[in-house]
Amino acid sequence: MSDQPATRLEIMAAFLANELEDGEILRIGAAMPVPEVAVRLAHFHHGPNMELIFIGARFNAAHLDVLPTPEFGWDRRVVRWAESYSDTGHRFDRVKDWGTHVFFIGGIQVDKHGNTNLIGTGDDYEKLDFRGPGSVGTSTLATHVGRYYIVVNSHTARTFVDQCDYVSAFGWGDGDPEARRRLGIPGGGPKYCVTPLCVMDFTDDTKHLRLKFVHPGVSVDEVVENTGFDLIVPADVPETPLPTDGELHIIRSRADRRGALRR
Amino acid sequence: MSHPDRAERLIDEHAAAEWITDGMTIAIGDPAPMAMIRHIVRRGVRDLTVVGSGLGLDLLIAAGCVRKAVAYYVGGGPAFRAAAEGGDIEVWECEEGVLVAGLRAAAQGLPFLPWRGGLGTSLPEINPDLRVFEDPINGETLLAVPAIDVDVAILHAAHADAFGNVQHVGGPGWLDLFLLRAADRSIVQVEKILPNEEVRAKPWATTIARIDAVVRLPFGAHPFASNGFHVQDKSATRQYVTAAAKAQRDGDRADLDAFITTFCREPASHLDYLELIGVSQLLSLHEY
Repeated sequence: MSDQPATRLEIMAAFLANELEDGEILRIGAAMPVPEVAVRLAHFHHGPNMELIFIGARFNAAHLDVLPTPEFGWDRRVVRWAESYSDTGHRFDRVKDWGTHVFFIGGIQVDKHGNTNLIGTGDDYEKLDFRGPGSVGTSTLATHVGRYYIVVNSHTARTFVDQCDYVSAFGWGDGDPEARRRLGIPGGGPKYCVTPLCVMDFTDDTKHLRLKFVHPGVSVDEVVENTGFDLIVPADVPETPLPTDGELHIIRSRADRRGALRR
Repeated sequence: MSHPDRAERLIDEHAAAEWITDGMTIAIGDPAPMAMIRHIVRRGVRDLTVVGSGLGLDLLIAAGCVRKAVAYYVGGGPAFRAAAEGGDIEVWECEEGVLVAGLRAAAQGLPFLPWRGGLGTSLPEINPDLRVFEDPINGETLLAVPAIDVDVAILHAAHADAFGNVQHVGGPGWLDLFLLRAADRSIVQVEKILPNEEVRAKPWATTIARIDAVVRLPFGAHPFASNGFHVQDKSATRQYVTAAAKAQRDGDRADLDAFITTFCREPASHLDYLELIGVSQLLSLHEY
Protein backbone atom coordinates (compact mmCIF):
# COMPACT_ATOMS: atom_id res chain seq x y z
CA MET A 1 0.00 0.00 0.00
CA SER A 2 2.79 2.43 0.89
CA ASP A 3 4.62 1.53 -2.33
CA GLN A 4 2.50 4.00 -4.23
CA PRO A 5 4.00 7.49 -4.19
CA ALA A 6 2.25 10.08 -2.08
CA THR A 7 -0.68 11.78 -3.79
CA ARG A 8 -0.85 15.56 -3.86
CA LEU A 9 -3.55 15.54 -1.21
CA GLU A 10 -1.35 13.35 0.99
CA ILE A 11 1.54 15.75 0.45
CA MET A 12 -0.72 18.62 1.53
CA ALA A 13 -1.79 16.71 4.65
CA ALA A 14 1.77 15.79 5.61
CA PHE A 15 2.95 19.37 5.12
CA LEU A 16 0.19 20.65 7.39
CA ALA A 17 0.85 17.93 9.96
CA ASN A 18 4.45 19.06 10.26
CA GLU A 19 3.21 22.59 10.96
CA LEU A 20 1.37 21.42 14.05
CA GLU A 21 3.12 21.18 17.37
CA ASP A 22 2.45 18.84 20.22
CA GLY A 23 0.08 20.37 22.74
CA GLU A 24 -1.81 22.51 20.25
CA ILE A 25 -5.59 22.73 20.10
CA LEU A 26 -6.82 22.02 16.59
CA ARG A 27 -10.28 22.93 15.33
CA ILE A 28 -11.53 21.17 12.22
CA GLY A 29 -14.77 21.99 10.44
CA ALA A 30 -16.95 19.87 8.20
CA ALA A 31 -15.98 18.59 4.77
CA MET A 32 -12.24 19.34 5.05
CA PRO A 33 -10.60 15.99 4.19
CA VAL A 34 -7.01 17.24 3.96
CA PRO A 35 -6.98 19.00 7.38
CA GLU A 36 -8.82 16.04 8.91
CA VAL A 37 -6.05 13.68 7.85
CA ALA A 38 -3.37 16.24 8.73
CA VAL A 39 -4.45 16.56 12.35
CA ARG A 40 -4.82 12.81 12.75
CA LEU A 41 -1.36 12.27 11.29
CA ALA A 42 0.13 14.92 13.59
CA HIS A 43 -1.70 13.45 16.60
CA PHE A 44 -0.39 9.92 15.91
CA HIS A 45 3.04 10.99 14.72
CA HIS A 46 4.20 13.61 17.20
CA GLY A 47 1.21 15.04 19.04
CA PRO A 48 0.09 12.94 22.03
CA ASN A 49 -0.86 16.14 23.86
CA MET A 50 -2.87 17.65 21.02
CA GLU A 51 -6.58 18.25 21.40
CA LEU A 52 -8.64 17.68 18.30
CA ILE A 53 -11.98 19.43 18.07
CA PHE A 54 -14.19 18.06 15.29
CA ILE A 55 -17.23 20.33 15.17
CA GLY A 56 -17.99 20.21 18.89
CA ALA A 57 -16.43 16.91 19.89
CA ARG A 58 -13.12 17.42 21.64
CA PHE A 59 -10.82 14.49 21.96
CA ASN A 60 -7.38 13.17 22.59
CA ALA A 61 -7.18 9.70 21.10
CA ALA A 62 -3.53 9.20 20.21
CA HIS A 63 -3.65 5.83 21.98
CA LEU A 64 -6.17 4.45 19.51
CA ASP A 65 -5.21 2.70 16.31
CA VAL A 66 -7.54 4.84 14.26
CA LEU A 67 -9.59 7.95 14.84
CA PRO A 68 -13.25 8.32 14.05
CA THR A 69 -14.21 10.09 10.87
CA PRO A 70 -17.48 12.00 10.79
CA GLU A 71 -19.55 10.77 7.85
CA PHE A 72 -21.27 14.12 7.55
CA GLY A 73 -21.02 17.53 9.12
CA TRP A 74 -22.89 16.84 12.31
CA ASP A 75 -22.25 13.16 12.71
CA ARG A 76 -22.59 13.00 16.48
CA ARG A 77 -21.24 9.45 16.58
CA VAL A 78 -17.71 10.87 16.74
CA VAL A 79 -18.65 12.01 20.24
CA ARG A 80 -18.08 8.41 21.32
CA TRP A 81 -14.36 9.11 21.27
CA ALA A 82 -14.62 12.56 22.79
CA GLU A 83 -13.80 13.67 26.30
CA SER A 84 -16.24 16.56 26.06
CA TYR A 85 -18.84 17.90 23.71
CA SER A 86 -19.94 21.48 23.17
CA ASP A 87 -22.95 22.57 21.18
CA THR A 88 -22.52 25.30 18.60
CA GLY A 89 -23.92 28.05 20.80
CA HIS A 90 -21.75 27.46 23.83
CA ARG A 91 -18.67 27.03 21.65
CA PHE A 92 -18.57 30.82 21.32
CA ASP A 93 -18.55 31.44 25.06
CA ARG A 94 -14.80 31.16 25.40
CA VAL A 95 -13.22 32.83 22.40
CA LYS A 96 -10.86 34.42 24.88
CA ASP A 97 -8.58 31.37 24.75
CA TRP A 98 -8.76 30.84 20.99
CA GLY A 99 -5.41 32.58 20.64
CA THR A 100 -3.83 29.19 21.27
CA HIS A 101 -6.07 27.41 18.76
CA VAL A 102 -5.31 26.46 15.18
CA PHE A 103 -7.93 26.34 12.46
CA PHE A 104 -8.24 25.41 8.78
CA ILE A 105 -10.36 27.39 6.39
CA GLY A 106 -11.63 26.75 2.86
CA GLY A 107 -13.07 29.10 0.29
CA ILE A 108 -14.73 29.33 -3.08
CA GLN A 109 -12.48 32.37 -3.58
CA VAL A 110 -9.18 33.33 -1.97
CA ASP A 111 -7.70 36.73 -2.71
CA LYS A 112 -4.09 37.87 -2.82
CA HIS A 113 -4.22 38.98 0.81
CA GLY A 114 -5.72 35.76 2.14
CA ASN A 115 -9.27 36.99 2.54
CA THR A 116 -11.67 34.14 1.83
CA ASN A 117 -15.19 33.84 0.49
CA LEU A 118 -17.78 31.17 1.23
CA ILE A 119 -20.76 33.41 0.47
CA GLY A 120 -20.94 33.36 -3.31
CA THR A 121 -19.79 34.95 -6.53
CA GLY A 122 -21.37 37.58 -8.77
CA ASP A 123 -21.83 41.34 -8.76
CA ASP A 124 -25.45 41.32 -7.62
CA TYR A 125 -25.77 39.90 -4.13
CA GLU A 126 -29.55 39.58 -4.56
CA LYS A 127 -28.99 37.29 -7.54
CA LEU A 128 -25.63 35.65 -7.20
CA ASP A 129 -24.06 33.81 -10.13
CA PHE A 130 -23.07 31.12 -7.66
CA ARG A 131 -24.48 30.88 -4.17
CA GLY A 132 -21.88 29.35 -1.85
CA PRO A 133 -22.59 27.33 1.26
CA GLY A 134 -22.29 30.23 3.69
CA SER A 135 -19.77 31.49 6.20
CA VAL A 136 -20.28 28.69 8.76
CA GLY A 137 -18.18 29.82 11.76
CA THR A 138 -15.25 31.11 9.74
CA SER A 139 -15.76 34.85 10.30
CA THR A 140 -15.45 34.43 14.04
CA LEU A 141 -12.76 31.74 13.95
CA ALA A 142 -10.59 33.79 11.58
CA THR A 143 -11.02 36.72 13.95
CA HIS A 144 -9.89 34.93 17.08
CA VAL A 145 -7.70 31.87 16.45
CA GLY A 146 -3.95 32.20 16.94
CA ARG A 147 -3.25 31.17 13.37
CA TYR A 148 -5.00 29.41 10.56
CA TYR A 149 -4.28 27.69 7.27
CA ILE A 150 -6.19 28.26 4.07
CA VAL A 151 -6.68 24.87 2.44
CA VAL A 152 -8.46 24.50 -0.90
CA ASN A 153 -9.25 21.48 -3.02
CA SER A 154 -8.63 23.15 -6.35
CA HIS A 155 -6.15 25.73 -7.54
CA THR A 156 -7.55 27.72 -10.46
CA ALA A 157 -7.67 31.33 -11.56
CA ARG A 158 -11.34 31.31 -10.56
CA THR A 159 -10.45 30.35 -6.99
CA PHE A 160 -7.41 32.59 -6.59
CA VAL A 161 -8.65 36.06 -7.44
CA ASP A 162 -7.36 39.58 -7.10
CA GLN A 163 -10.29 40.49 -4.88
CA CYS A 164 -13.03 38.29 -3.45
CA ASP A 165 -16.53 39.18 -4.58
CA TYR A 166 -17.53 38.85 -0.92
CA VAL A 167 -15.36 38.29 2.12
CA SER A 168 -16.63 35.85 4.74
CA ALA A 169 -13.34 35.59 6.67
CA PHE A 170 -10.95 38.51 7.03
CA GLY A 171 -7.37 37.47 6.26
CA TRP A 172 -5.05 40.43 5.79
CA GLY A 173 -7.63 42.87 4.39
CA ASP A 174 -5.92 45.29 2.03
CA GLY A 175 -2.48 43.83 2.79
CA ASP A 176 -1.46 46.24 5.51
CA PRO A 177 0.42 44.16 8.11
CA GLU A 178 -1.38 46.35 10.67
CA ALA A 179 -4.81 45.68 9.11
CA ARG A 180 -5.85 43.25 11.81
CA ARG A 181 -4.57 45.37 14.67
CA ARG A 182 -6.32 48.45 13.23
CA LEU A 183 -9.65 46.64 13.27
CA GLY A 184 -9.05 45.30 16.76
CA ILE A 185 -8.93 41.71 15.51
CA PRO A 186 -6.94 39.68 18.03
CA GLY A 187 -6.21 36.52 15.99
CA GLY A 188 -2.92 36.00 14.20
CA GLY A 189 -4.38 35.50 10.72
CA PRO A 190 -3.60 33.05 7.92
CA LYS A 191 -0.08 31.62 7.90
CA TYR A 192 0.03 29.49 4.76
CA CYS A 193 -2.26 28.69 1.89
CA VAL A 194 -2.03 25.05 0.84
CA THR A 195 -3.43 23.88 -2.51
CA PRO A 196 -3.16 20.79 -4.72
CA LEU A 197 -0.40 22.61 -6.62
CA CYS A 198 1.67 24.42 -4.03
CA VAL A 199 2.19 26.06 -0.66
CA MET A 200 2.07 29.85 -0.42
CA ASP A 201 3.01 32.16 2.43
CA PHE A 202 2.57 35.92 2.86
CA THR A 203 5.16 38.66 2.38
CA ASP A 204 5.98 40.50 5.60
CA ASP A 205 5.45 44.03 4.34
CA THR A 206 2.46 43.69 1.99
CA LYS A 207 0.84 40.46 3.23
CA HIS A 208 0.66 39.34 -0.38
CA LEU A 209 0.55 35.64 -1.28
CA ARG A 210 3.98 34.39 -2.32
CA LEU A 211 4.93 31.02 -3.70
CA LYS A 212 6.89 29.00 -1.17
CA PHE A 213 6.88 25.39 -2.37
CA VAL A 214 5.60 23.61 -5.45
CA HIS A 215 4.52 20.00 -5.12
CA PRO A 216 6.68 17.49 -7.02
CA GLY A 217 5.64 17.38 -10.69
CA VAL A 218 4.20 20.90 -10.60
CA SER A 219 5.99 23.74 -12.38
CA VAL A 220 6.12 27.32 -11.19
CA ASP A 221 4.50 28.33 -14.50
CA GLU A 222 1.59 26.00 -13.86
CA VAL A 223 0.93 27.69 -10.53
CA VAL A 224 1.23 31.18 -12.00
CA GLU A 225 -1.11 30.33 -14.90
CA ASN A 226 -3.71 29.02 -12.50
CA THR A 227 -3.58 32.02 -10.19
CA GLY A 228 -5.81 34.98 -11.00
CA PHE A 229 -3.51 37.63 -9.51
CA ASP A 230 0.18 38.41 -9.81
CA LEU A 231 1.63 35.82 -7.51
CA ILE A 232 4.97 36.77 -5.97
CA VAL A 233 7.50 34.21 -7.13
CA PRO A 234 10.93 34.12 -5.45
CA ALA A 235 13.99 33.20 -7.50
CA ASP A 236 14.20 29.86 -5.83
CA VAL A 237 11.06 27.79 -5.24
CA PRO A 238 11.90 24.42 -3.70
CA GLU A 239 9.66 21.37 -3.87
CA THR A 240 7.26 20.70 -1.03
CA PRO A 241 8.82 18.16 1.32
CA LEU A 242 7.36 14.70 0.74
CA PRO A 243 5.91 12.69 3.59
CA THR A 244 8.46 10.29 5.06
CA ASP A 245 7.80 6.57 4.71
CA GLY A 246 6.73 6.57 8.35
CA GLU A 247 4.29 9.43 7.83
CA LEU A 248 2.85 7.87 4.70
CA HIS A 249 2.41 4.59 6.54
CA ILE A 250 0.49 6.35 9.33
CA ILE A 251 -1.67 8.19 6.79
CA ARG A 252 -2.62 5.03 4.92
CA SER A 253 -2.97 2.65 7.84
CA ARG A 254 -4.42 4.93 10.52
CA ALA A 255 -5.15 8.55 9.61
CA ASP A 256 -6.91 7.95 6.29
CA ARG A 257 -7.91 4.33 6.17
CA ARG A 258 -10.80 5.08 3.82
CA GLY A 259 -8.37 6.57 1.35
CA ALA A 260 -10.08 9.95 1.00
CA LEU A 261 -6.76 11.46 -0.09
CA ARG A 262 -5.82 8.63 -2.44
CA ARG A 263 -8.75 9.15 -4.81
CA MET B 1 -48.37 11.53 40.22
CA SER B 2 -48.90 15.19 39.57
CA HIS B 3 -51.80 17.30 40.69
CA PRO B 4 -54.89 16.33 38.69
CA ASP B 5 -55.42 19.96 37.67
CA ARG B 6 -51.90 20.40 36.38
CA ALA B 7 -52.22 21.07 32.67
CA GLU B 8 -50.46 18.72 30.33
CA ARG B 9 -48.55 20.13 27.42
CA LEU B 10 -48.79 17.02 25.34
CA ILE B 11 -50.61 17.79 22.12
CA ASP B 12 -51.02 15.91 18.88
CA GLU B 13 -49.12 16.63 15.71
CA HIS B 14 -52.04 18.28 13.92
CA ALA B 15 -52.71 20.68 16.79
CA ALA B 16 -49.00 21.56 16.97
CA ALA B 17 -48.86 22.10 13.20
CA GLU B 18 -51.57 24.74 13.49
CA TRP B 19 -49.24 26.87 15.60
CA ILE B 20 -47.24 27.64 12.48
CA THR B 21 -48.92 30.23 10.29
CA ASP B 22 -48.04 32.33 7.26
CA GLY B 23 -45.39 35.00 7.77
CA MET B 24 -44.04 33.71 11.09
CA THR B 25 -40.42 33.46 12.10
CA ILE B 26 -39.67 29.87 13.03
CA ALA B 27 -36.47 28.19 14.14
CA ILE B 28 -35.75 24.56 13.37
CA GLY B 29 -33.24 22.66 15.49
CA ASP B 30 -30.88 19.80 14.86
CA PRO B 31 -31.75 17.12 14.04
CA ALA B 32 -34.38 18.86 11.97
CA PRO B 33 -37.85 18.16 13.36
CA MET B 34 -38.86 16.58 10.09
CA ALA B 35 -42.31 15.36 11.06
CA MET B 36 -43.33 18.93 11.92
CA ILE B 37 -41.56 20.25 8.83
CA ARG B 38 -43.55 17.84 6.67
CA HIS B 39 -46.73 19.18 8.29
CA ILE B 40 -45.69 22.73 7.43
CA VAL B 41 -45.17 21.66 3.81
CA ARG B 42 -48.44 19.69 3.70
CA ARG B 43 -50.40 22.64 5.07
CA GLY B 44 -48.78 24.93 2.52
CA VAL B 45 -47.61 27.55 5.04
CA ARG B 46 -45.99 30.44 3.22
CA ASP B 47 -43.70 33.42 3.70
CA LEU B 48 -41.88 31.97 6.67
CA THR B 49 -38.67 33.42 7.98
CA VAL B 50 -36.63 30.40 9.00
CA VAL B 51 -33.64 30.25 11.32
CA GLY B 52 -32.05 26.99 10.36
CA SER B 53 -29.48 25.07 8.45
CA GLY B 54 -29.07 21.95 6.36
CA LEU B 55 -31.55 19.91 4.39
CA GLY B 56 -34.53 20.56 6.69
CA LEU B 57 -34.35 24.21 5.73
CA ASP B 58 -33.62 23.23 2.14
CA LEU B 59 -36.82 21.16 1.93
CA LEU B 60 -38.90 24.06 3.27
CA ILE B 61 -37.39 26.28 0.58
CA ALA B 62 -38.00 23.64 -2.11
CA ALA B 63 -41.64 23.44 -1.06
CA GLY B 64 -42.11 27.21 -1.35
CA CYS B 65 -42.69 27.86 2.36
CA VAL B 66 -39.81 30.29 2.90
CA ARG B 67 -39.54 34.00 2.25
CA LYS B 68 -36.37 34.62 4.21
CA ALA B 69 -33.61 32.31 5.42
CA VAL B 70 -31.54 33.33 8.43
CA ALA B 71 -28.67 31.12 7.47
CA TYR B 72 -24.96 30.78 7.93
CA TYR B 73 -24.55 27.40 6.31
CA VAL B 74 -26.68 25.46 3.89
CA GLY B 75 -23.90 23.36 2.40
CA GLY B 76 -25.20 20.76 0.02
CA GLY B 77 -28.63 22.38 -0.11
CA PRO B 78 -29.61 22.58 -3.78
CA ALA B 79 -32.93 24.36 -3.25
CA PHE B 80 -31.28 27.02 -1.10
CA ARG B 81 -28.71 27.56 -3.80
CA ALA B 82 -31.30 27.78 -6.59
CA ALA B 83 -33.62 30.08 -4.62
CA ALA B 84 -30.80 32.37 -3.52
CA GLU B 85 -29.37 32.60 -7.02
CA GLY B 86 -32.82 33.21 -8.51
CA GLY B 87 -33.68 35.87 -5.95
CA ASP B 88 -36.68 33.79 -4.89
CA ILE B 89 -35.80 34.04 -1.21
CA GLU B 90 -34.14 36.68 0.87
CA VAL B 91 -31.02 35.58 2.74
CA TRP B 92 -30.26 37.20 6.09
CA GLU B 93 -26.57 36.59 5.69
CA CYS B 94 -24.82 35.70 8.90
CA GLU B 95 -22.31 33.39 10.52
CA GLU B 96 -22.36 31.04 13.50
CA GLY B 97 -20.96 33.48 16.05
CA VAL B 98 -23.07 36.33 14.69
CA LEU B 99 -26.20 34.20 14.78
CA VAL B 100 -25.53 33.17 18.38
CA ALA B 101 -25.15 36.84 19.37
CA GLY B 102 -28.51 37.68 17.74
CA LEU B 103 -30.30 34.75 19.39
CA ARG B 104 -28.81 35.68 22.77
CA ALA B 105 -29.93 39.28 22.34
CA ALA B 106 -33.49 38.07 21.68
CA ALA B 107 -33.38 35.75 24.70
CA GLN B 108 -32.13 38.54 26.94
CA GLY B 109 -34.61 41.11 25.73
CA LEU B 110 -31.87 43.31 24.32
CA PRO B 111 -32.04 45.23 21.05
CA PHE B 112 -28.63 43.87 20.05
CA LEU B 113 -25.44 42.33 21.30
CA PRO B 114 -21.94 43.22 20.18
CA TRP B 115 -19.76 40.73 18.36
CA ARG B 116 -16.25 40.91 16.98
CA GLY B 117 -16.31 38.04 14.48
CA GLY B 118 -17.28 39.38 11.07
CA LEU B 119 -15.43 42.69 11.36
CA GLY B 120 -13.70 43.45 8.09
CA THR B 121 -15.92 41.02 6.17
CA SER B 122 -18.76 41.71 3.72
CA LEU B 123 -21.37 40.66 6.26
CA PRO B 124 -22.42 44.19 7.34
CA GLU B 125 -22.55 45.28 3.68
CA ILE B 126 -24.79 42.49 2.45
CA ASN B 127 -26.81 42.35 5.65
CA PRO B 128 -27.51 45.98 6.57
CA ASP B 129 -29.16 44.86 9.82
CA LEU B 130 -25.63 44.24 11.11
CA ARG B 131 -24.15 47.60 12.10
CA VAL B 132 -20.57 48.51 12.75
CA PHE B 133 -20.42 50.74 15.83
CA GLU B 134 -18.01 52.19 18.31
CA ASP B 135 -18.33 50.75 21.77
CA PRO B 136 -18.92 53.36 24.49
CA ILE B 137 -16.55 51.72 26.99
CA ASN B 138 -13.24 51.42 25.16
CA GLY B 139 -14.04 52.96 21.80
CA GLU B 140 -13.45 49.69 19.98
CA THR B 141 -15.07 48.97 16.64
CA LEU B 142 -17.59 46.14 16.90
CA LEU B 143 -20.56 44.63 15.10
CA ALA B 144 -24.01 45.20 16.57
CA VAL B 145 -26.09 42.10 15.93
CA PRO B 146 -29.82 42.82 16.30
CA ALA B 147 -32.02 40.49 18.33
CA ILE B 148 -33.32 37.59 16.25
CA ASP B 149 -36.78 37.14 17.74
CA VAL B 150 -38.41 33.83 16.94
CA ASP B 151 -42.15 33.12 17.11
CA VAL B 152 -41.90 29.36 17.41
CA ALA B 153 -38.88 27.11 17.89
CA ILE B 154 -39.35 23.50 16.80
CA LEU B 155 -36.91 20.92 18.11
CA HIS B 156 -36.48 17.16 18.12
CA ALA B 157 -35.32 15.35 21.27
CA ALA B 158 -35.29 11.93 22.87
CA HIS B 159 -37.77 12.08 25.75
CA ALA B 160 -40.18 14.38 27.53
CA ASP B 161 -42.88 14.08 30.10
CA ALA B 162 -46.34 15.48 29.54
CA PHE B 163 -45.38 18.73 31.27
CA GLY B 164 -42.63 19.78 28.90
CA ASN B 165 -39.58 18.49 30.71
CA VAL B 166 -37.23 17.31 27.99
CA GLN B 167 -34.31 14.90 28.09
CA HIS B 168 -31.73 14.33 25.38
CA VAL B 169 -29.52 11.38 24.70
CA GLY B 170 -26.05 12.87 24.35
CA GLY B 171 -27.13 16.37 25.24
CA PRO B 172 -28.79 19.06 23.16
CA GLY B 173 -26.74 19.81 20.10
CA TRP B 174 -26.15 22.61 17.62
CA LEU B 175 -28.11 25.76 18.55
CA ASP B 176 -31.19 24.11 20.02
CA LEU B 177 -30.97 25.78 23.43
CA PHE B 178 -30.37 29.16 21.84
CA LEU B 179 -33.24 28.81 19.37
CA LEU B 180 -35.51 27.89 22.23
CA ARG B 181 -34.46 30.84 24.37
CA ALA B 182 -34.96 33.28 21.47
CA ALA B 183 -38.48 31.98 20.84
CA ASP B 184 -41.86 33.02 22.23
CA ARG B 185 -43.18 29.50 21.99
CA SER B 186 -41.61 26.10 21.60
CA ILE B 187 -42.61 22.73 20.24
CA VAL B 188 -40.48 19.68 20.93
CA GLN B 189 -41.18 16.44 19.13
CA VAL B 190 -39.87 13.42 21.01
CA GLU B 191 -39.24 9.75 20.46
CA LYS B 192 -40.79 8.71 23.73
CA ILE B 193 -43.00 10.10 26.50
CA LEU B 194 -41.77 9.50 30.03
CA PRO B 195 -43.83 9.39 33.20
CA ASN B 196 -43.33 12.51 35.31
CA GLU B 197 -41.98 10.29 38.14
CA GLU B 198 -39.06 9.31 35.94
CA VAL B 199 -38.22 12.98 35.31
CA ARG B 200 -38.41 13.84 39.01
CA ALA B 201 -36.18 10.87 39.86
CA LYS B 202 -33.27 12.60 38.09
CA PRO B 203 -33.97 16.27 37.48
CA TRP B 204 -30.36 16.84 36.37
CA ALA B 205 -31.21 14.81 33.25
CA THR B 206 -33.74 17.45 32.18
CA THR B 207 -31.97 19.30 29.40
CA ILE B 208 -34.78 21.72 28.56
CA ALA B 209 -37.55 22.86 30.86
CA ARG B 210 -40.81 24.66 30.15
CA ILE B 211 -41.53 23.56 26.63
CA ASP B 212 -44.91 24.79 25.47
CA ALA B 213 -45.88 21.76 23.45
CA VAL B 214 -44.66 18.18 23.50
CA VAL B 215 -45.53 16.02 20.51
CA ARG B 216 -44.89 12.29 20.50
CA LEU B 217 -43.37 11.52 17.11
CA PRO B 218 -41.14 8.44 17.15
CA PHE B 219 -38.79 8.44 14.14
CA GLY B 220 -39.90 12.06 13.74
CA ALA B 221 -36.42 13.16 12.67
CA HIS B 222 -36.32 10.66 9.81
CA PRO B 223 -34.42 10.77 7.46
CA PHE B 224 -31.96 12.43 9.84
CA ALA B 225 -30.32 10.78 12.82
CA SER B 226 -31.93 10.82 16.25
CA ASN B 227 -29.33 10.38 18.98
CA GLY B 228 -29.72 7.13 20.83
CA PHE B 229 -32.45 5.90 18.50
CA HIS B 230 -31.35 5.70 14.90
CA VAL B 231 -28.73 6.85 12.44
CA GLN B 232 -29.34 8.89 9.31
CA ASP B 233 -31.23 7.21 6.47
CA LYS B 234 -28.75 8.03 3.77
CA SER B 235 -30.80 6.51 0.97
CA ALA B 236 -33.62 8.95 1.77
CA THR B 237 -31.43 12.04 2.09
CA ARG B 238 -29.69 11.07 -1.14
CA GLN B 239 -33.03 10.73 -2.89
CA TYR B 240 -33.94 14.26 -1.84
CA VAL B 241 -30.57 15.76 -2.76
CA THR B 242 -30.60 14.05 -6.16
CA ALA B 243 -34.08 15.39 -6.95
CA ALA B 244 -33.34 18.89 -5.64
CA ALA B 245 -30.00 19.03 -7.44
CA LYS B 246 -31.70 18.13 -10.72
CA ALA B 247 -34.16 20.97 -10.20
CA GLN B 248 -31.32 23.34 -9.38
CA ARG B 249 -29.16 22.25 -12.30
CA ASP B 250 -31.67 21.72 -15.12
CA GLY B 251 -34.68 23.63 -13.86
CA ASP B 252 -36.60 20.35 -14.08
CA ARG B 253 -38.63 20.10 -10.89
CA ALA B 254 -40.54 16.92 -11.75
CA ASP B 255 -38.58 14.62 -9.42
CA LEU B 256 -38.44 17.21 -6.66
CA ASP B 257 -42.17 17.88 -6.82
CA ALA B 258 -42.84 14.15 -6.84
CA PHE B 259 -40.64 13.74 -3.77
CA ILE B 260 -42.43 16.53 -1.92
CA THR B 261 -45.85 15.18 -2.90
CA THR B 262 -45.04 11.60 -1.96
CA PHE B 263 -43.26 12.22 1.32
CA CYS B 264 -44.75 15.48 2.61
CA ARG B 265 -48.13 16.25 1.06
CA GLU B 266 -49.80 12.87 0.69
CA PRO B 267 -49.19 11.34 4.12
CA ALA B 268 -51.88 12.92 6.30
CA SER B 269 -50.12 11.97 9.51
CA HIS B 270 -46.72 10.91 10.76
CA LEU B 271 -47.99 7.34 10.98
CA ASP B 272 -48.87 7.42 7.28
CA TYR B 273 -45.35 8.64 6.57
CA LEU B 274 -43.78 5.85 8.62
CA GLU B 275 -45.92 3.27 6.82
CA LEU B 276 -44.74 4.70 3.54
CA ILE B 277 -41.11 4.31 4.59
CA GLY B 278 -41.78 0.85 5.96
CA VAL B 279 -40.89 -1.03 9.11
CA SER B 280 -37.95 -2.89 7.62
CA GLN B 281 -36.35 0.31 6.35
CA LEU B 282 -36.87 2.11 9.67
CA LEU B 283 -35.56 -0.77 11.74
CA SER B 284 -32.52 -1.14 9.50
CA LEU B 285 -31.36 2.20 10.90
CA HIS B 286 -29.51 0.94 13.94
CA GLU B 287 -29.28 2.88 17.16
CA TYR B 288 -25.74 4.09 16.83
